[in-house]
Amino acid sequence: MDYLVVAVVAGLAAVERKGFLQAMLARPVVLAPITGLALGDLPGGLLVGAPLELLWLGAVNMGASLPPNEALATVAISAGAVLAGRVLGTGVTPAIAALAIALVGGMATVGRSTDRAIEEWNVRLAARAEALLARGSPRAAVRTNLYGLLLPFAVSAVLAPAAAAIAAWVIPGVLHGLPAADAPLGFGWAALTGVAAAAAARAFRSQRGIGLFAGAAALTLAVGWLAGGIR
Amino acid sequence: MSVPAVTLRRVFWRCLFLQAAWNRRGMQNLGFAYAIDPALRRLYADPGQRNEALRRHLATFNCHPYTAAAIVGGAIHHEELVAAGAEPPGAPLEYKQVLQGPLAAVGDAFFWSGLRPFFGAVAAVGTLLLGWPALVAALLLYNALHLWLRWTLFRAGYRAGDEVVLRLASLSLPAWAARLRDGGAVLAGVGAGILALVATGRLGLAAGALTVAAAAAGVAALWLRARLLPTAYAALLLGTAAGILAVRFPGAR
Repeated sequence: MDYLVVAVVAGLAAVERKGFLQAMLARPVVLAPITGLALGDLPGGLLVGAPLELLWLGAVNMGASLPPNEALATVAISAGAVLAGRVLGTGVTPAIAALAIALVGGMATVGRSTDRAIEEWNVRLAARAEALLARGSPRAAVRTNLYGLLLPFAVSAVLAPAAAAIAAWVIPGVLHGLPAADAPLGFGWAALTGVAAAAAARAFRSQRGIGLFAGAAALTLAVGWLAGGIR
Repeated sequence: MSVPAVTLRRVFWRCLFLQAAWNRRGMQNLGFAYAIDPALRRLYADPGQRNEALRRHLATFNCHPYTAAAIVGGAIHHEELVAAGAEPPGAPLEYKQVLQGPLAAVGDAFFWSGLRPFFGAVAAVGTLLLGWPALVAALLLYNALHLWLRWTLFRAGYRAGDEVVLRLASLSLPAWAARLRDGGAVLAGVGAGILALVATGRLGLAAGALTVAAAAAGVAALWLRARLLPTAYAALLLGTAAGILAVRFPGAR
């Protein structure tokens, strides 16, 4: 049942990401908590969502270029982490999140390849619409547009649960076998979140980006330490 | 003859499906034909004329999915003139061809490089600080703004036709985009600071320092055009290695 839920969330995210609406619902910061909520672990989704958003803030579809498919990767990572956390009885921890990214973060690249294949496949839909119009069926011709939503849904609905299943199977094995890995992986997660913030700064391509980023980070640290830190 | 308001609203709804069948040959052509079809049905009672109009909107088209709403509105404006015999049938296609490039550039610069990442950063920082209520607030605010802008562009295109460029210029979107990019860089810095504080709270000062060092190294690597995912994996690996050392020498924490 869990994997069916993951399939539906991933499929709908694939549709919203490009084919319909584009209202940020497929962005990692929203999609990871939705996945967590659907699987009964909203805090787990929130833990991975914000860093993933910062990491892939620059993943945008400009012109005919294709970015990494951050939505597919987000569902795979967050679902894999939540399901692994459930097996371990800990919920999503930084160590689990780090392993989930290590194992299935590459789905972003896989997703870009499938996106390209789908765009090639859709050429057939365009040809079909032209043929239907030539045969005098204008309503059927324009309706062909909606058929383009099916393949992205199906591809993500298959790939995301498969990747999540791999993460949910491997992560508990690793952390059961190597319990001492928990703290070092937490450090790995901390380093990854630092790079994610840097990637976010880079995504804005502001001429004063480095200075503004460094100044804001230093000020936040100073204020945070004065206030006693964040737990 | 003009298109009724209810049909315009239907066309706007269909604009949200502009990229449903994005393809390598005609790009958004199917989406454009799907969106404008209700208006064409109103304007051309004769099936032959309607099919001919639909055929011209199956020509290659590509624009930013938000700013394209202005071109759909403007194309209806021109189709009304064609239906009334005031313009030749090629006028809507010419209008689309002239405007799609400039409006794509405006949309990419303002929405994809400014507004959406800015709200993504707001949502991420808000989530780190306040949890899901901040996320919901950021999402609602972004969508109220983006849908209002999409509708405004659609209506401006329909009412103004070729003059939509002047209406768009009056919104000063490039200037806003520059402000949003600066604001976004600040938010990314705030995010880095919060993440370092969170790591310190969880694993000690060494983890916080590692987050800051990774952010600094990440800035250097990414500004030198390193690829994102390999950089992230390298950070994960090196951070874990540093964690092994920190655990082995607990005095460092």
